[in-house]
Amino acid sequence: MVAVLGGFLLIFLLFHMSANLLILLNDGGAAYSAFCNFMGKTIAIRVMEVVLFGALLLHAVVALWLAATNRMSRPVGYHKPQKSKTHTTSKLMMWSGILIFVCLIMHFYDFYMVKIGLVKGEYMVKTEKLQDEEMSGIMQLANQMQMTPSDLVAAMKEEMATMGGDDEEADNYIESITAKIKVMDIVNNAYTNGNISADKKWIHRLNAEEKAVIKEAFPDSDVEPDFYYMARKKFKVWHIVLGYLVFFAVLFVHLTHAFPSAFQTLGLNNYKYNRAIEICGKIYTWVVCLGFAVIPIVIFLSE
Amino acid sequence: MILDSHIPEGPLAEKWTRYKNSQRLVNPANKRKLNIIVVGTGLAGASAAASLGALGFNVDIFCLQDSPRRAHSIAAQGGINAAKNYQNDGDSVERLFKDTIKGGDYRAREANVYRLAEVSGDIIDQCVAQGVPFARDYGGLLDNRSFGGAQVSRTFYARGQTGQQLLLGAYGALSREINRGSVKLHSRHEMMELVVEEGVAKGIIARDLVTGELERYAAHAVVVASGGYGNVYYLSTNAMNSNVSAAWACHRKGAFFANPCYVQIHPTCIPVHGDYQSKLTLMSESLRNDGRIWVPKKKEDAEAIRKGEKGPLDIAEQDRDYYLERRYPAFGNLVPRDVASRAAKERCDAGYGVGTTGLAVFLDFASAIERLGRDVIEQRYGNLFQMYQKITDQNPYEVPMMIYPAVHYTMGGLWVDYELQTTIPGLFAAGEANFSDHGANRLGASALMQGLADGYFVLPYTLQNYLADKIYEGAATTEGEAFEKAEQAVRDRIAKLLNINGRHSVDHYHKALGRIMWEYCGMARSKESLAKAAEEVEKLKQEFRSDVYVPGKAEEMNPELEKACRLTDYFELAQLIIADATQREESCGGHFRIEHQTEDGETQRDDENFMFVGAWEYHGADTPEELHKEQLNYEHIQIVKRNYK
Amino acid sequence: MHFTLHIWRQENAHAKGHFEKYEIDNISPDCSFLEMLDQLNEQLVGDKIAHPVCFDNDCREGICGMCGLYINGRPHGNDDGVTTCQLHMRKFTDGDEIWIEPWRAKAFPVVRDLVVDRSAFDKIIQAGGYISVTTGGVPDANTIPIPKYVADQAMDAAECIGCGACVAACKNASAMLFVGAKVSHLGLLPQGQVEHLDRVRNMIVKMDELGFGGCTNTYACEAECPKQIKRQNIARLNREWIGQMFGRDRKN
Repeated sequence: MVAVLGGFLLIFLLFHMSANLLILLNDGGAAYSAFCNFMGKTIAIRVMEVVLFGALLLHAVVALWLAATNRMSRPVGYHKPQKSKTHTTSKLMMWSGILIFVCLIMHFYDFYMVKIGLVKGEYMVKTEKLQDEEMSGIMQLANQMQMTPSDLVAAMKEEMATMGGDDEEADNYIESITAKIKVMDIVNNAYTNGNISADKKWIHRLNAEEKAVIKEAFPDSDVEPDFYYMARKKFKVWHIVLGYLVFFAVLFVHLTHAFPSAFQTLGLNNYKYNRAIEICGKIYTWVVCLGFAVIPIVIFLSE
Repeated sequence: MILDSHIPEGPLAEKWTRYKNSQRLVNPANKRKLNIIVVGTGLAGASAAASLGALGFNVDIFCLQDSPRRAHSIAAQGGINAAKNYQNDGDSVERLFKDTIKGGDYRAREANVYRLAEVSGDIIDQCVAQGVPFARDYGGLLDNRSFGGAQVSRTFYARGQTGQQLLLGAYGALSREINRGSVKLHSRHEMMELVVEEGVAKGIIARDLVTGELERYAAHAVVVASGGYGNVYYLSTNAMNSNVSAAWACHRKGAFFANPCYVQIHPTCIPVHGDYQSKLTLMSESLRNDGRIWVPKKKEDAEAIRKGEKGPLDIAEQDRDYYLERRYPAFGNLVPRDVASRAAKERCDAGYGVGTTGLAVFLDFASAIERLGRDVIEQRYGNLFQMYQKITDQNPYEVPMMIYPAVHYTMGGLWVDYELQTTIPGLFAAGEANFSDHGANRLGASALMQGLADGYFVLPYTLQNYLADKIYEGAATTEGEAFEKAEQAVRDRIAKLLNINGRHSVDHYHKALGRIMWEYCGMARSKESLAKAAEEVEKLKQEFRSDVYVPGKAEEMNPELEKACRLTDYFELAQLIIADATQREESCGGHFRIEHQTEDGETQRDDENFMFVGAWEYHGADTPEELHKEQLNYEHIQIVKRNYK
Repeated sequence: MHFTLHIWRQENAHAKGHFEKYEIDNISPDCSFLEMLDQLNEQLVGDKIAHPVCFDNDCREGICGMCGLYINGRPHGNDDGVTTCQLHMRKFTDGDEIWIEPWRAKAFPVVRDLVVDRSAFDKIIQAGGYISVTTGGVPDANTIPIPKYVADQAMDAAECIGCGACVAACKNASAMLFVGAKVSHLGLLPQGQVEHLDRVRNMIVKMDELGFGGCTNTYACEAECPKQIKRQNIARLNREWIGQMFGRDRKN
């Protein structure tokens, strides 16, 4: 049970790791964001997410339950600590597992709390969702005049006032596009600050207020948490980087035992394949842990 | 009293078949009403209990270890003989029979030995069906090796752990019956007394070794399969708990004890190295297949080795004396055990011994490693070599092993007839505990054969023949005076030992007894040495009775008390061995009287006067036992001088 | 050689135990561990102070499986591939402190001092650790050829002596190596195939029932097994256990 679920989690980890590596691409988050969007939108993936949680929880619960019953198999312990030559990592499974679980909860907190909006983070939005024929005119004009859209509108408003006339219609019109104008400002800012992905499909690094503005103007615009930039920001802080590295080290310990152990428990090994399984296990463990660990390191070290 | 061995009529080869065809049987419904007690869970005991349980009898089985799988049969290394002739080298039932009789120096009962040879093949079939992983050749068929005293390869083996594998097979069969409820296991129980009522065996008194309580068990028949008595020598290849007490309890109650002086000294054991030593470790006889035994030719070389100035590798080839090959060109290093042991003793006594004590000879694998390669030797004897290295801290692949003879097996035991019944009706003895099949010397790989033959293929028939009458007796009961008295006797014996409160431990006396026996009644005996032994044992026995200290209580786990009870019996047994050795004015097999040897130091039998089984009757403590003779009639076999030259 | 011994003393199964300290002198390095304890017991009997230390032992050549002590944190002490009776004092250094404990497991209750009750192993075997043949009526031994490597593998597994070191070493007091060895031994042979899946199920169910723990692949058992039985036997057991769950329906 622990092995089957663990095996499932092992496959997931590999997947997760490859996805995370997209962060490293210096494309302003294009690939990663596209990926996140895909993950967020596909029903099958959402179902898998639930299954995954279930698996993780069950894995932990069953493992803890087993550990508890196993402890009951020796009510009176030894005075001298065990000195047999054993796979040390296997004895740390429960502790490394608990540590990993705690870290994961923190990780989820970061991830889901932002996602469901309980915590403010940074957000991103697809540029195509913000497209509006009316607006694009103003945008272009603003660009030409090297003004922000709101400045442009304000200027236009002023001009209209000086031209006299109490054009209620015009006022109303400007009023009606104020919300959108604000969005235009945001988009404009993004362009000037470079907060746009390389393929120009995403606007990044929006704060909560900006998010609210966009939401108001384009109710179906799907503003999503911007994990690409949040990660990049996070991994500039040394203690967070260190925390993550420790976490991966613990994960390494857990996986070192987990991979071959799953084969042993499922009886999927024998004298012939043991060596191969061992080697595969080593490769897997190194690849996954290094793959994860390299992200914070690279980001931390990059300018 | 005339001893009747109840050998069936007819030609030798048909006796067993005729017996089986005419014996009485018990019908299945009645089998359930009959109880059988089996004491001992070795090859004989476990196989008997399993077979009898499978037939439908109610069996109670006893062992003093924590599990039936610990019985000392497990330590047998080399193999088990069977006349299968799988090697096409001319083997047959007839030849196995003749080899065994000859190996036993013409002191075994023809009919029993023939039956043993006859059922030997069935044992292998049975064991393979049970999943015993015998060694196989590359074609997938069973492999054989050769053993001492035979010119054919008829020994089946499972690495160096044949006894273990056979015992685990029997233990499995036993476990199956326990699971089915036909056999009840009583582990950590020691048989203390046999209960005899109106001359018939009715049950036993056993001591629970955990609580110390005495318990009564009743049955319609009792089988004693409690092994041999080699531990009377203190140092032997037997397990620490191996003892004679169960058999001796039977002897005290009237079962005759036969041929106690036939003690086999095994030639290839690791030599003694200190006072504290508790047992001797056997190196399988199979080592003699490829190892060559030698001592230095020159005394000064031997002396230098003893002092540690020279090593075995410093002795040039021409200065080595391969004395077995020299004396016995035909059999060479594969002469029977008694011959090999005496030859080693002869060389050491003559001053050519090696090792720090001078009581060792070399067993050299250099030429075999050269001929076959280290891999082959490792495959054949790897675990034995490893065991040797663990004990001695020397690497036998590089330095020759050192070996010396040690007490190993006892051919003597409770006297039984053809049906394995003792002189007490209802009491049967099987395996090493009886005397029946090996005469004066047992051939290698025959003990396993005999134990399993008795348990699987003899007792299930002969016990039924006896039990056929007992269905009229009703349920076995532990009520009655006989049980009362027997239990009280045990209680008194224990109380007496606990109350002595002397100065020395049980082991102190046991070691002393062992030294006397080894020195004066060991590999070579003489009238004088036996007289000396008798005197010293008597003295020591008195000392033991007045000055032993047994700590603790009767009603608790108390190993010292167990040892004390067993040693009490060993003293009586030692005296009987000495009496038997004194009485037997000839040399044969494991019994070597210095007065009776040929010019070149071989055993000299006296067939005219001593072709009998010496069966002793007990007449009470401190009373000399009475000798009864069962004449051995060889009808089938031609008696010749045993010659391995 | 001189040693300071700390030995677990417990009068009976119900009593509370404790460690007792003993000093012992003049021990030869060639002496086995049990012979060293013999000498301690001689000393205790001679002094008439304490009851000699109870410990299980029998063959003293590493095959009966009766002896078994937890010495300085390792079952059968500080040597590989040996039982306690084969452990020699030359493996220690003069003046060492030696802690001697009984096997600890729920399924192996202490009987007295260092003696434990291992009848649970017998019960597991009784649940199915055999091939069900009755005496007689079996085919000739050479009827079924068995490839040499199969026979050898079966023999490797069959070498188990049932000493319980695997359970003593396991942090979960699991008997998987013991059961795995028996299942491998019998299951590899064609003779044992007939009842194979039932055997696996019955033995494992019995093992759990008796209070042994589960396997978490720490392999202390393999490291401490005096007969060096391999963990692959546990893998085989796992495989067969899963196999029997999906195996043929016995009801039809």
